[in-house]
Parts: sequence; C-alpha cells; structure tokens
Amino acid sequence: MKPAEKFTLDAVEWDPWLPVVDAASATPEQKAALEKSPSATSPYFLTLAHDVASLDQRSPLFHSVMYAPRGLKRAERELATVVASMVNGCVYCCSVHARRFAELTKQPEVIQRLYDEGLGTQLDARRRAIVDFSTRLSTVPPTATEADIAALRTAGLDDLEIVDLIHAVAMFANANRLMQTLGTPVLPDGIVPG
Amino acid sequence: MSEDVIDAIGGLAPGGRLAALRRQRPDYVKYTQSSHDVLLSPDDPGGLSLVERAAAALRVAVVHDDAALAAHYRARLDAVGGAEVQPLIESLAEAVPASRLSAILHHADLAARAPGRARPTHLEALRAAGLTPRDVVALSQLIAFVSYQARVLAGLRLLHAEGA
Repeated sequence: MKPAEKFTLDAVEWDPWLPVVDAASATPEQKAALEKSPSATSPYFLTLAHDVASLDQRSPLFHSVMYAPRGLKRAERELATVVASMVNGCVYCCSVHARRFAELTKQPEVIQRLYDEGLGTQLDARRRAIVDFSTRLSTVPPTATEADIAALRTAGLDDLEIVDLIHAVAMFANANRLMQTLGTPVLPDGIVPG
Repeated sequence: MSEDVIDAIGGLAPGGRLAALRRQRPDYVKYTQSSHDVLLSPDDPGGLSLVERAAAALRVAVVHDDAALAAHYRARLDAVGGAEVQPLIESLAEAVPASRLSAILHHADLAARAPGRARPTHLEALRAAGLTPRDVVALSQLIAFVSYQARVLAGLRLLHAEGA
C-alpha cells in the first residue's frame, strides 16, 4: 500500500504499527469494547482494544462530543475537527471528517479551499471565527485568546456552542495523536498517489 | 479520585456559571473524568506503572506550558511515590543514559509536541524498553488524553476571562 501524504476528500485507510488484537482470540472484555466502538473490525479500534479500560471510556466521550444533541451544529463540529487535523497534519482524520462535513453541508468546495489555499482562505464570518479559534486552540501550546472568543460571540455562538466547539477541537488533539503515533494513513489498494 | 479534575484544575467554582455550563453536557463531564481515572489509576495497570503514567502525563502538561495542569500531575507523581524522577521529567535533556523511563518520556514529548513526526521506530524503542502492545496503547491514550485536557482547560479559561 502507498502512503497517503496529501489532505484529501477521498477515502484513505490506516495501517497500524503494532500487531492488532486478533478478533478471533479477543477477550470478552475486548469484544464488548469493540462492539461499542464505531467499527469493531477497523485496525484502529483493534489496536486501541489492547487497552480495554481506556477504550471503554474514550468511545462514549468521543461519541458525545461529536453527536450530542442541540448546541453546535454537527457540520460545524466536523469543520472544527478538520481544522485541528490540518494543524496536526493528520491526513486520515482530515479525510474522514472532511467527507462528513461535505455530506452534511453539500459543500465539499469549502474543504477543498482550506486544503488548497490554507486555513486563511475566504470564509463567511461564522466559519472564519470557528476556523480561527480551532486553529489556535490546536497549536502546542494552545494560543487561542479572548479575542478569538469575542469573534465567536460576534458571529453568534452561544455558551453551549462554544463549549461544544472547545470539546470538538480538544477531542481531535486526542484523536490525531492516536492516529499519528500508532500507525499511518495509506491509499486504498489500486490508488496511485496523485 | 472523586473530585472533578477539570473543575479543580481550572478553578471552576462549584455551582458557578462555568461549572453549571459544563453540566449541560453531562457525558463530557462524566467520561472526561472516567478517562482520567482509568489512565492514571487503573484497577490493573498492566506493565505501565502508576509512576510511569504520572510521569508521562506531567511531561505532556509541561509541553503544553500549562502550569495548573502540570501542578496536578506533579502532585499525582508525588502521591504515587515518584517524586525523585520529577527532575528527569522537567528537563528531558538530562535523561541519559537511556532508561525505560526516558524512553517513555521522550515518546510523550514527541507525541504531545509534534505527533506528525512519529515513526514506527518510536514504537520500536518503546517495545525495546519492555513495553507490551497494551502498555504502548495505554501510554498513547494517556498522552492523547492530557493533550485533550489541556485544550478543554485552555478553552474554559477563556470563557472564564470573558465572564470575569
């Protein structure tokens, strides 16, 4: 398989650097944790299943941050996670969440512009404020300021939406690090890097 | 560990505006706390000791330049009997000769600071230091969690400053 090196709206796969848990010989606890994860057969979750205790708590945290009702719109959570993933250079996470954003908004061109022109590309005021805050909360150390919060307020975000945005970005500081340090993105078989 | 660590580290007043706002998302609060507890004080730590866990968490907090978060993990390190390794954590440059703990700390530093620079050789170094696949995953989850925690805290502090 060829490495996936460029941010893309196409599907990419992920190749683990550790031997994964063998689904056939998994313990009952591992099987139960995998059942509660988004995909019991993905190499990523079969890697995380080595440590069941942490996976058991992380899966519901991740799910609530991405799908909790009300608050920040799902597409805006996806946008924030794409931005965090771009800052960290996580090609796999960008691919997954760029496609979710595109499915929800029917606007893949917004993501393509972020990829092509960078995080400073032209956006409407609300997305501009979300992208700026997400970018600066994702740096090491975080560099978001009160001015970024003020911009979110001006753009119309309320308390709960900002709490959701903070958690979406923070969750991808987490997700990117797991994806980037336990394996690597690869192009699906038969795809030649463009 | 029964106190809510985000409230405690962030200095959120019990029943105050921000503590109440967080509780509009009870699952965030619940699973952030349970993730912390299961990574720092698991019932069965496997091959990654409580000192090694606290040490790695402290290094991630230091990388994020978060004094309150670092103080939390420094206290945790003391509580599990790891006070003597604290200088090694704070100044990685002195982490020679190579030891199991220095391998853990160097990995924590890299994964927290620049995860895009991680390569298979970094996991091989951890395996060579005696970590099993389970220990490597637990360490990776811990590094990822403290990186998450640092951003939750940074965001809440900005909301606090706004309301002050």
